[in-house]
Amino acid sequence: MARWSPGTVAALSWLFPVVALGSGIFAGASASTDPLHILLGAAALVIGSLVGVATSNSGNRFTTGLAVAAAIPIVFADATVVDVSGRTTLLGVDLGGAITAYGIGLAAVWALRLARGESHSELLPTMVRRLGGYTVYAVVYDAMRVGEFAALDGGWNDLVPFMLALGSWLVVEILLRAMLILGPRELSRTYLARALIHDMNAFVGLVLTGALFGELYVVIDWWALPIALLPYSFAHTAFKRLQETKVTYKQTIRALARIPEVSGLGVDGHADRTTALATSMAKEMGLGPSHVENVEYAGLMHDIGRVSLNEPQILKRGFTPDDIARWSAEIIAESPYLERVAEDVMHQYQPYRRPGQQDDPEISAISRIVKVAAAYDWKVHLERLSPLEALEALHAGAAYEYDPKVVASLRRLLEARGVLTPVRA
Amino acid sequence: MSLFDKKAIRLLQRRYPPSVVRKIKVALPYAVMGTATLIVTFSSFDLPPWPVWALFAVLFVILEMFTVEVNDRLFISSSIMVIMTAGVIFATQPGTDATFAMALMAAAGSLTPADFKERRLFQPISNFGQLAVCGAVAGLVLDLGLGGVDDMSTDNLLWVALFAALASVAYVTTNNLLVRQAVKTVYGSRNLQPWSQMNVLIGGQATMGLLGGLIGAAYLIGDQPPAVLVLMVAVYGIGHLSLYAFGQLRESHLSAIRGFVKTLEAKDMYTRGHTERVAFFAQMIGEELGFNGTQQEMVKWAALIHDLGKLAVPTELIRKKGRLEQEEYDQMKEHAHLVEDILAEVDFLQPMVEIASGHHSHYDGNGYGGRGHTEGETPSLESCIVAVADAFDAMTSARSYRMAMSQEYAISELRTNAGGQFHPEVVDAFERALISHDRDYGAPHVNDEETARRLAEEEYSVHG
Repeated sequence: MARWSPGTVAALSWLFPVVALGSGIFAGASASTDPLHILLGAAALVIGSLVGVATSNSGNRFTTGLAVAAAIPIVFADATVVDVSGRTTLLGVDLGGAITAYGIGLAAVWALRLARGESHSELLPTMVRRLGGYTVYAVVYDAMRVGEFAALDGGWNDLVPFMLALGSWLVVEILLRAMLILGPRELSRTYLARALIHDMNAFVGLVLTGALFGELYVVIDWWALPIALLPYSFAHTAFKRLQETKVTYKQTIRALARIPEVSGLGVDGHADRTTALATSMAKEMGLGPSHVENVEYAGLMHDIGRVSLNEPQILKRGFTPDDIARWSAEIIAESPYLERVAEDVMHQYQPYRRPGQQDDPEISAISRIVKVAAAYDWKVHLERLSPLEALEALHAGAAYEYDPKVVASLRRLLEARGVLTPVRA
Repeated sequence: MSLFDKKAIRLLQRRYPPSVVRKIKVALPYAVMGTATLIVTFSSFDLPPWPVWALFAVLFVILEMFTVEVNDRLFISSSIMVIMTAGVIFATQPGTDATFAMALMAAAGSLTPADFKERRLFQPISNFGQLAVCGAVAGLVLDLGLGGVDDMSTDNLLWVALFAALASVAYVTTNNLLVRQAVKTVYGSRNLQPWSQMNVLIGGQATMGLLGGLIGAAYLIGDQPPAVLVLMVAVYGIGHLSLYAFGQLRESHLSAIRGFVKTLEAKDMYTRGHTERVAFFAQMIGEELGFNGTQQEMVKWAALIHDLGKLAVPTELIRKKGRLEQEEYDQMKEHAHLVEDILAEVDFLQPMVEIASGHHSHYDGNGYGGRGHTEGETPSLESCIVAVADAFDAMTSARSYRMAMSQEYAISELRTNAGGQFHPEVVDAFERALISHDRDYGAPHVNDEETARRLAEEEYSVHG
C-alpha cells in the first residue's frame, strides 16, 4: 500500500511514456506482423482510450480501449494463419507486435491526456495498470496459442486461451489497483475489494465485445467491425444509462436534502457535512459499497423531517430530536429507493444500547455511524467545540449513547487527517 | 375485429362483465389467427433442424421472460436478436425454411410464467397469436430474400444484412400494429397516448434484429463453430443489458418524481391528490391539443412538481383562511421561484422546472413566476396548460376556507379570464376534453365563491 510523494509521482510519470514507448519499440524489433497493422492497432487503442464509456461505482473509467486491447493479440495471432485443407493452422503468434501496439498506443494516450490537463498523480496509476494488464493478457493468450491451442478448429477449445488470458488480466488489474490506487489512507481494503468486484461486470462486458471482434475477424475479415461495433454500442449505451440512473438518484436525494435549508428550517450545510463524514467513516470501517451508499442516503436524509417544523401545531407543542427522526423516516418511507434507509434514519437518535441489554441489534451500523457523524458535526460547527473536545464528548457518551467502535473509527479518521493535532497558540 | 356477429357479442355480454368481453374480443381472434398461421406455414414450408431450433427457442423464451417495462402497457425484450439469428440460419441453410420455424419459436415466447402466476389468461392467448404472426411475417421476408443463398460467404453478407434489417422491421411493425389494435379494443383509444418512446424503440429493436441476423451469418461463414455460440449468448446478454439499463433509468425518473410528490404531501395534506388531479387534467388538455407521448409525459411531470416550491413556504400561509396580506402574498409568490432552487441540480427535470415555474404566469404577460415567466410575454403552452389545470382543480376542490365549487362555475371563470389570465386555446381544449370525458368535477350546486365560503363557515360553526 504505497503512498507516493508528489515528487516520486512526477518523476515516474515522466518515466512512464519512456518505458512504454521503449518496450514498444524493443518488442517491435521482433514483431512479425505488418508494421502498418501494428500502427493501426495502436491508433485504434488511442482513439478507443479517449472515448469514455462510463465511470463505475468506484470511480473507475472504462473505455473502448479495453475492447481494442482485448482484440489486438487475437487479431495479430491470426494474421499469420494459413488455411490447410479446411483447417486453420497457426504459424506463430506475434507477442512482439501486440506489445508494440500497446506501448506506442499507451504512450500516445498518456501524452494526449496530459495535454488535456489531467494530473500526473491520477494518470500514472491508471496507465501503469493498463500496460500491466494488457501485457499479461497478451502474454498468456499467446503462450496458450503457441502450445496446446495452436490450431483453431472451431471447437469449444478455441475459447480456452481467451478465457485464461481474461482471467489473468482480471487478477493483474485487481492486484495493481490494490497497490497503486490506494491514495487516501482512509479507505479500507475490504471496501476496495468489494468495489472492485462491483466493477467487474462492466469490465468483462467490454473485453468480451473486443474478443468477439477478434474471433470474428478471423472468419469474416473486416466485416467483424460492424458486427462487433453493434453490441459494443449497446454495451456503451447501457453503461451510460446505468451511470445516468445513479446520477439521477444522487441528484434527487441531494435536492430532497436541500429542502429544509431552502425553506430556512434546516441547519446550513449540516446534512452535507454529516454525510461526507459518515461515508468516510463507513469506508474506514470496511462496509461494502452498497452499505456506504445507504450511509450516504441516510446521512443526507437524516434531517429531512425538519420540513414539518413550520406546522403551526408543532411550533406550539414543541418537538424533540426523536420527533425529527420519526418525521424524516415517515417522509422517506413513502418514496421508493429511499425506503430501505427509513429504519436507519428512524433509529439514528436512539442510543445503541439500552439499560439491561448488551447491545441493541435493532440499531443498524448505518444508524450508529450517522448518529456519531451528526453529533460530531453539531458539536464542532454549532456548539463551536474544537475537534478534540467534540471527540472527548463523544467518548464520554460511549457507554450507551455512541457506539465505541464508531467513535474509534472517527478518531482514526480525524487523526489521519491531522485534525486532532493541538492548535499552536 | 369483426370475427363476431352482433348476436354472439350480445350473448357474451350477457354472461361476462364488459372488461372480460373486451378481452375475449382480442384473445379469440388473435388465437385463431395464430393457429391458422402455424397450420398454413407448417404445411407449406420446410421444417427446421429440431435440435438447433430448440436451442434458439430456449434462448428466445428466456429473453422473453426478462422483459423491460417501457410504460404501463408496453414491455420489450431483446429476444428479437435470437429469433433473427435462428431465422437467418434456417433461411440460408439448404433444405430448411425460416417461416414456420420462426412462427413457432415466437409463439413459444408467449409462455411467460408471470402470466400464469398472476392467472392472466387472455394475455398469453393474445400474445400467442400475435407473436406467431410476427414470426411468420419476418420468416417470410427472410425466406423470400435469402432462400436462394446456398453457400454462405462474406460476399453474401451485405445481402443478409439487408434482409435481416427488413425482416426485423417487419417483425417489430407487425407486433406494434397488433399490440395497438389489442390495446385499443381492450382499453379504448384514449390509452394509446402515453407511448412516448415508441419510435426510438422500433429503431432500437430493428437494430437488435439486424445484429442477431448478422451473428447468424457469421456463425454459418465460420462453419458453425460452437465457440461462437458462447460469444453469441454474450451478445444477447449485452442486448438485454441495454434494455435493462433503459428500464432502470426510467424507473429512476419515476421514483424521483414520486419522491418529490410524497415529500410535498408529507408537509401539506391539502396537496394530497391535488398534484395528481392537476397532472390528470393537464394530460386531458394535452391529448385534446394533439400532444405526442413525450410532450404528454413532460406536461404530466411538470404538473406533478408544479407546487414543490410550497415546501419552502410556511404551512400557516398555505392554509390561511381568507385573503393574504400583501407581505404574505409576496412570500406565497416565492413558491414559483423556489421550485427552481430546490430542483436546481436535478438535470433531467430542468425542462419541467421551467414549465412549473411559469404556472402562475398569465397569457397576457402578467402574473409572476421564475424562469418560465417573462414580464409582458405569453409563457410556454405547457405552462398555460398547467395553469388552467391548476386553477380548475383549485376551484372544484375544497379549501380550508371554502367549499368546492361546481364544474360549471369553474369553466365559466376560466372562460371569463381566457385571453387575460388563461390561454384561450387551452381553455377551449379543456372544455372539449371535459365534455368528451363526460365526468363531473366539483360540488354540483355551488355556483359562486360567496356561497362556497358561507357553506364552509356554516360547517365550521355547526361542528363548533
